[in-house]
This record gives sequence, structure tokens and C-alpha cells, in this order.
Amino acid sequence: MLLSGARDVHALVRRTEGRECYERIRRTVERAASRYDMPLSYLIGLERQERADLIVRRVTTTGLRRVSRAARALDFLTLFPPAAIPLLLLVLYFGLYRFVGVFGAGTVVDFLERRLFGKVVNPVVNAFVTRHIDSVALRELVAGEYGVITLGLRYSVAIVLPIVGTFFLMFSVLEDTGYLPRLALMADRAFKLIGLSGRAVIPITLGFGCGTMATMVTRTLETRRERTIATVLLALAVPCSAQLGVILGMLATRPRALLLWAGVVGAAFLAAGRASSRFLPGERPVFYMEVPPLRVPVVSNVLAKTFTRMKWYFVEVMPLFMGASLVIWIGRMTGLFQLVLKGLEVPVKLIGLPPEAAFAFLFGFFRRDYGAAGLYDLARAGKLTASQLVVASVALTLFVPCVAQFAMMWKERGWRAALAITGVALAVAFASGYVLNLILTGTGALP
Amino acid sequence: MRRRKLAIVGTPNVGKSVLFNALTGAYATVSNYPGTTVEVSRGLVRIRGIPFEVIDTPGAYSLVPITEEERVTLSLLLAEDIDIVVHVVDARNLRRMLPLTLQLIEAGFPLILDVNILDEAERIGIRVDIPGLERELGVPVVGTVLTRGLGVDALKDRVAACVQGISGITGTHLKAFRGPDRACGA
Repeated sequence: MLLSGARDVHALVRRTEGRECYERIRRTVERAASRYDMPLSYLIGLERQERADLIVRRVTTTGLRRVSRAARALDFLTLFPPAAIPLLLLVLYFGLYRFVGVFGAGTVVDFLERRLFGKVVNPVVNAFVTRHIDSVALRELVAGEYGVITLGLRYSVAIVLPIVGTFFLMFSVLEDTGYLPRLALMADRAFKLIGLSGRAVIPITLGFGCGTMATMVTRTLETRRERTIATVLLALAVPCSAQLGVILGMLATRPRALLLWAGVVGAAFLAAGRASSRFLPGERPVFYMEVPPLRVPVVSNVLAKTFTRMKWYFVEVMPLFMGASLVIWIGRMTGLFQLVLKGLEVPVKLIGLPPEAAFAFLFGFFRRDYGAAGLYDLARAGKLTASQLVVASVALTLFVPCVAQFAMMWKERGWRAALAITGVALAVAFASGYVLNLILTGTGALP
Repeated sequence: MRRRKLAIVGTPNVGKSVLFNALTGAYATVSNYPGTTVEVSRGLVRIRGIPFEVIDTPGAYSLVPITEEERVTLSLLLAEDIDIVVHVVDARNLRRMLPLTLQLIEAGFPLILDVNILDEAERIGIRVDIPGLERELGVPVVGTVLTRGLGVDALKDRVAACVQGISGITGTHLKAFRGPDRACGA
């Protein structure tokens, strides 16, 4: 294991055997390494694999295994690009769009948010605190527009939970069938361009559901570098479902504006990926994944996997949403918000938006969709032109991630990375807003 | 009697957690391993009258860590005084799993190999010669179908025998790799 270069083992040996002895060992290891032109860990692994193969050959007997024609056809369908890409689109359309987007983010969210929270939980909580709590500050902490229960709990249970729940269910089905490794294999080449491997398909796709969740899932990536790149992309250029829904709703009636928005955000995604893969130190990912046979998913497996992931969500993500409402409360009570609002008006005016839009940006940090919804209100009140709408949507999409995602970045990547990524997102958001505004008003492309 | 520590290791999705549940039953407690958020479950249980702390590790493909999960597993194996390691492998894919077994043997961990998912392996025509594998590796090997609870009793017997220093395994060509003081029962 010393020869393979496991750092923890090196540290252990240095601790237990004393410095001098460790140095002797280290020199021996280096001498051994210098004799081969390939990494020792690779050679040892190879040797070990050979021995394993030998043993396996001796102790197992393999009967004839019939591969059915259907299985071969499916293999072909999932691995041969001209056939696999349409299949992928079908999977994305039905699995992601119809099931997660329309059913999870639409039907279930509507039910939970409007009916359960809108008509039952929130009115009851609000009535209760108005009757029993005298202090306005305390009342606002648990209830009201941004309370821990009325906002934090509602947001995490009624809005994010159905989305990640349906996503996890679909994801577990795909995982159990063995489709995911094939998908990763296909995506690998495209992802290499932005410094990621096919493995990153999973967190990036998840990011369109919930960026906070996705940031946590970057743990499945192999190298720290890859994890950082994925975190940057998720924070900057992957809009989460809540935000996506409102932006799509806002721009749907203006196809050209929608295309422009998608184009700019897509370009930002690629550029950010290229840039971070250029400038971040570390090795490029080597992607190796065994492609398992396709099989019919087992219901108990799927349920068990979905359940474990949901548990994960409750333990690790939900507290962050509750914490976010706490931060909003502090911000409002101390008057800090008014100060930040004033500060934000400067760049907002710079990108050609009315100062009222600063409010949307500030709240975009606490609930990404809330920010977009703020814009939506402005647009409906007739305060935004088409080009202002596009500029605002682009800037808001690229703008810093929501506070829960920020907390997750802090937790997973450390405070320095979290602050740096947020700073970059802020700069990129307003810079692209500025340039886009200049182009649009200069050319008059959009009325 | 001193409480022994048993660590369950193996690649993801081979049935580690099923084994954990089968061994610990209702006594399972979940805790976080310090310094990271990748979960490690622990449970207290008696196996054949001997008190054990059973530790379920995150999935690992190799002892030389690549992913964060593997780092957790390695540091756990290094930091804690583990009395016995149960390596769970998928009988359908021994080729890919045995390198970790060999690594564990080389590193001198007292080891029991659990060849799981024998039923599905048989269905696709793979037969594993368990006694033969035991002779080749020089560590106790048990075949199981954990989803149906088959082989758990035999595994418990081997675990108990192993910590008491009786394994019934005689020398093999791999014996040289094992630290004589820590090797299971040899």
C-alpha cells in the first residue's frame, strides 16, 4: 500500500515507525518507482488483477449464458449513438419532463403548496401566532411571509421535496436498469470538453431539479478538481427547477426572448466549464466505468434506494432551508436587508433595469424562484420591456445560487471556494447582463 | 468479555447493508463518522455469545482511495482496532472484486470473505467453488444469499470461530503475505 502511494498509509507509517525509519522506507519506494515507467500503483493493480483472474478461473465454472435477442437489441439501442440519442431524448422527455417536471413539480407541488400549506398549515400557524405571541419579531420568525414554518418548512416540504422525490424515484429506476452507466458513457466525450467526465451527468442533471441537492451529490465525482468544476457550473449556469419554472413561464410567450436566454445561459455554461477546466490545477479525469447488463428493475431495490436518498434529503438539505428563513428573519429585523438593497441597486441600474428589480435579485438569493417571481410581477405591471426582461432573466439565472446551495458549497468545498464561486457568479451575472443590455439596446433586436 | 469490532467492507451494491441488518437486527444505530458526512452505520450485537460492534462502511473498490467514500473506509480500517473484516463480494463479478480481497489480505487484516448473490450467479450459469476459493485465498470463505437470509448462520459461526482463533484453515501460497500475528486464526 505504501508502494501504491496511499497518503493515509504514509502518514500512519510516519507516525508509528518514526521519522527516520519512514524516510528510509520512502527512499526505497522512490527507488522502486524509478525503475518502471508506469506508476507503481498501476503495475501492482495489474498484477493483483492477474492473480485474481487466475483464482477466479480455478474456482468458478461458467455455464453457457444465453443472451436473448431482446437484450442484444437493447444493448445496441443504448450504446450506438444514432439509436441511443433518440432513446435518451425519450427518457429525458418522459422521465424528466413529464414525470418530474409536470407531475412532480406541477401536480404534486400544486397540491402540497396551494392546498396543504396555502389553505391549511399556513393559515393555522398564522392564526395561532397572532393569537398567542405578542412580540412581532417572534411572530415573524415562525410565521408570516418568511417564517421558519411558513417559508422554510413549506419550501422544503411542499416545493423541493416533490421535485427531488420524483427525481429520485426516476433516477433509482434508471440506476437499477443499468441505463445510467450507458448514459454516462455517452456523455463522457461532451463532458470532457468542460473538464468533467461522464460521471458528472448525474449531479448536473440533478441540478436542474435542485442545485443544493446536486452540490451534495458531486461527492460521487472522483477528483477534487472535478467536484469543484461541477460545483461552479451548478452555482453559475444551471437553473434549478423552481427558477426554471418561473423563467419559462415568463418568457414562454416570447419565443425569441426565450431562445436568447437559453443561448446566453448555455454559452455561459460552456465558457465557465472551459475556463475552470483550464485554470483549475489537477489531473484530467480518467473515466472508466463497467457497463453492467440491462435488467428489469426490482421494485424493492428501487424503493429502498429512493428511500435512502429521501432520508439523505431530510437530514442534510432540509435544515439548510430552515436556516435560510432564519437568515431572512435576521436580515429583516436588523435592517441589513435595506442596506444590501441599496447596494444592489447600483449594478441593477447599470444593466439597464429599474431599481425595483434589486428586490428581485436580493430575494433570488434566498429563493431562486422568488427572485424570478419578483421579475414576473414587474413584467406584469408593465415595468419591463422585452429586452429588459431577457437581461434580467439572464442575470438572475447566472446570479449567485440560493442561500441553501451556498451553505452546501461551504460545507462541501470549504468557505474559501464557496465565497470565490459566489463572487465569480456575481461578477459574471452582472457583466453578461451589462454586455447583453448594450447589444440589445444598441441593435434594437428586441423591442 | 471484550467487545470485538467487525467491519463490513465491499464495493457498492453487493449487500453490505443487508448483511449489516442481518447481523445487528433491531439494534442498529446510525452515526456519522467524524470529519466527513459520508455515513458509517454501527450496531451492537452478540454473535454466538460474543459481544460485537458491527461497522458498515461506505462502498469501496480499492484500499488505495480514489473517492471520498473510499477514503472514509480506509481511514476507518486504519484508525480503529478492527478485530475482523468481512468482505462482501458479488458472486457474479468475482473478477472485479477479488483484487480488494487480495489487498485486504496483503494488508494483514483478519478477513472473512462473503461470496454473496449466489442465487443470481447460478441463474446466469456461474458456479463458485467455495471450499476451493478458501484454499486459494487462505481465509475463511462463506457463500450466502443475503436477501433470503441464506448462509448468515454459517457466517456467524465463522466470525465467532475466527475471533476465538480457530479457523480451520491450513496454509496456502498466499500465507506469506499475511502478518502472522493478525491473520485470522492461522
